[in-house]
Amino acid sequence: MAYPTATLDVIGLWVGWFLMLMIYSLPLYKENVAYRFAEHLFIGVTLAITAITNFSNIMRMCVTPLMQGDILMIVPLILGLMIFTMLIPEYRWISRYPIAIMVGAGFGLGIRGTIKPNLQDAIIDTITAPTGGGLVDWFNYIWVAVGLVCSILYFMLTYEHSGVLKTPTRIGRLFLMIALGGYFGNTVLFRFTMLTGRAQFFLQVLKLIPM
Amino acid sequence: MSLSKLADIDRRVFYWILFIALMVPFLSPIGFPITIAPNTQDLYDGVTGDEVGEGEVWILNFGYGVSAWSECHPAVTVCTKALFREGAKIIITGTHYDVELTYNKLLDTVPDFDDKVYGEDYVFLGYMTGGESVVAQLGSNIASVFPQDHFQTPYDDIPMLEGIEDHSDIAGVLSSDTGDYGGHFMTQWQSAYGTKLAEIGIAMNGSTDLPRWQAGNFFGVSVGSRGGAELELLIGELGEATTAMDSISVSHLLLILAIILGNIGVITDKLGGKN
Repeated sequence: MAYPTATLDVIGLWVGWFLMLMIYSLPLYKENVAYRFAEHLFIGVTLAITAITNFSNIMRMCVTPLMQGDILMIVPLILGLMIFTMLIPEYRWISRYPIAIMVGAGFGLGIRGTIKPNLQDAIIDTITAPTGGGLVDWFNYIWVAVGLVCSILYFMLTYEHSGVLKTPTRIGRLFLMIALGGYFGNTVLFRFTMLTGRAQFFLQVLKLIPM
Repeated sequence: MSLSKLADIDRRVFYWILFIALMVPFLSPIGFPITIAPNTQDLYDGVTGDEVGEGEVWILNFGYGVSAWSECHPAVTVCTKALFREGAKIIITGTHYDVELTYNKLLDTVPDFDDKVYGEDYVFLGYMTGGESVVAQLGSNIASVFPQDHFQTPYDDIPMLEGIEDHSDIAGVLSSDTGDYGGHFMTQWQSAYGTKLAEIGIAMNGSTDLPRWQAGNFFGVSVGSRGGAELELLIGELGEATTAMDSISVSHLLLILAIILGNIGVITDKLGGKN
């Protein structure tokens, strides 16, 4: 992608550059008017785009087919409108029906495909011993097996975590902490990559590196 | 200065150092080595060679927005190039509201589009919403989710989509996500119909995606920018991810340094307190 030449594109690029700096003024300096302005602008624009996109989607998937004679499309439209009764306290109960239908449909769909990949495949992969693997593969196999059993035991709340259960549940807690630490670490890495992208953009707009 | 003060350094000092340090590798690349992870190799193998047939139709789903371009887009770029070079056709869909921007970015980053004809070799169906339900519906009737493409052309008028009705007409799915649409495609397509499925996710998704790859649900997985850099290396065309890897590595090194310094400060403070 080359550096834009059209006036509007160049203006857009510089507006983005300044807005980015306005947002970064919070961590790099302190709360200020420029940051607040950029934050509110961002939230407003995002909400506007989301509203328009979803409205267009409803028109495309529901209203247009309805106007073309697909009478069944009236059902999701009515169910969608029923959710808005949430805003009127005395008719709030009506909104429970579309929500119940959504939850039921989501649950049914989820169950259909969840058991095999999320349970069956995951369990088979966990209990299948490595074939011809090296020492590291066997270590991983045992490590995961111990972690799995101990972590599940940690959530067995019908028995007190004492006596026979004391040691495995403590090990389970350690495994959970390591796993949550891993999740958090990955989240931080993702944010850093986003920051790297912004650092690159900062230099690209100034034409210090190619776009 | 007492070492215990290391724990009390103003965070803004770290942010300034980080912001400036991240730019240095872009101006003066370091060239840290990149090794190929087996999950990335599997992804590349799955979209190249005998795994892809001439004229096969694949779905590429954008489940990420502009903010995750640096994480997902390099890998998506490489996979699109690879599929086109094997003669595959691509249906592009999106589950993130700024999908149009990402589609335009893809047109910029994949030069192969210049030799391809819209509607015959690739098609952009646009945005869909509805979570797992819409992914399930897509598997049973694509036209019901997309009666027309993003540019309002009716589904039936697009030559490439002639005879493409449901999952059975799709050779494979590449899901690129910040969320869990890869998981939805796994439960509603891969598990239900056995469709080939791969995931291009942000680093945060790695801990969810890799066990699914190990269990055989995904034929390959690309994890974050690192995955993108590995794929660029595999296809032999270095791009955005490779350029960014040095900067990302520097950020990680700085983070480790900050953790070490902070811990030295805390430990020194505690030891001092005891004395």
